[in-house]
Amino acid sequence: MTSEASRILVWDGAVRLVHWLMVVLVPLLWWTAEEGHMDWHRSFGLTMFGLVLFRLIWGLIGTWTARFAPMVRRIGSLKAYVGELRSREHGASFGHSPLASLSVFALLLVLATQVTTGLFSVDVDGLESGPLAVLVSFEAGRQFADIHELNFNLLALLIGLHITAIAFYHFVLKEKLVGPMITGRRARAAFSDSPLPENGTRPLAMLGAAVLSLACVLAVLNFG
Amino acid sequence: MRRCKLQIILPVVAGLTLLSACGQNAETDGVSGAASVELANGMTVKEQIEARQSHLKKIGKAFKTISDQLKASSPDLAQIQAAAASVPKEATGMAGWFPEGTGPESGVKTDALPIIWEEKADFEDKVAAMQEAAVKLDTVAQGGDVAAIGAAFKTTGGTCKACHDKFREDD
Repeated sequence: MTSEASRILVWDGAVRLVHWLMVVLVPLLWWTAEEGHMDWHRSFGLTMFGLVLFRLIWGLIGTWTARFAPMVRRIGSLKAYVGELRSREHGASFGHSPLASLSVFALLLVLATQVTTGLFSVDVDGLESGPLAVLVSFEAGRQFADIHELNFNLLALLIGLHITAIAFYHFVLKEKLVGPMITGRRARAAFSDSPLPENGTRPLAMLGAAVLSLACVLAVLNFG
Repeated sequence: MRRCKLQIILPVVAGLTLLSACGQNAETDGVSGAASVELANGMTVKEQIEARQSHLKKIGKAFKTISDQLKASSPDLAQIQAAAASVPKEATGMAGWFPEGTGPESGVKTDALPIIWEEKADFEDKVAAMQEAAVKLDTVAQGGDVAAIGAAFKTTGGTCKACHDKFREDD
């Protein structure tokens, strides 16, 4: 019984697209910065800025599994959930588990810090700078760049933790989480029988979030 | 039992204290020793390193001003011209800012790499290239043609990068 009806939508298209674009962009951003391809770094960085912005808006007006408010409530049962994990009795969470909710907030916070500091960063020679660095002094721009560099280590750490957690669920807890992040769907039977929250797609809200974040990216791009 | 523990802990604590004290002495002696050596120009090593960092920082600031204005939809020429005029002045005598003994071996915090003194001729060529480009940038800037300023700025930035890639610690 793996008909389409028994497989329900967990992650909507926007969540998946944003997630996988970030997976592609983070290594590219790291590499372009290491190699000094700063024009590309700025373009990719601005794209990342748009993605983070979209995801933050989507966390307010998106589908149920994308929204932040249910995740905050989930964190309330963190202790119980960790207990279930330890005794290998955890049930699959519809959307983000309490632990995953924490991870989402940490990752988004660090990503938001990274794109924001990048906008204002200035290199040590005053030759390269983020699109909004005009607004700050050379010294302040250097401080933004220092935070940008330090914060990247935090981002790398969180990504490492994220991948380790996925591997732990896969190999130890025998719960496959990558597939649903690609297809968006998971068997209804994986979740408890109690009714699940309404998680229907919201095309209008999606369009609104996309237009708003794109407008912000264009505003930054044409600043000055 | 308690005495036994104390017998172990006391020497360990004493040893660690001694070690850390030694470490500190060695470090401060090393730094202040080489850092306070007087150079032929009358400056100490530390003063020389700080002086060149201050010059280079002013150049960085001037570059940011130029780069900011070049990005603007309507660049402020007066700001560009003032900044461009300051660069050749700040860069005067640059090769002389790096006398022997002012590298990282002095213990003073510096990104200058020892290869500067191993390949002095190449270093001096690269410094001269920068100074030449900076003079041109100033001349072009006073002319007021924004497109030409952009090109000259790029050339000047390239001469900075050429030297930094080889002779400066990665940022």
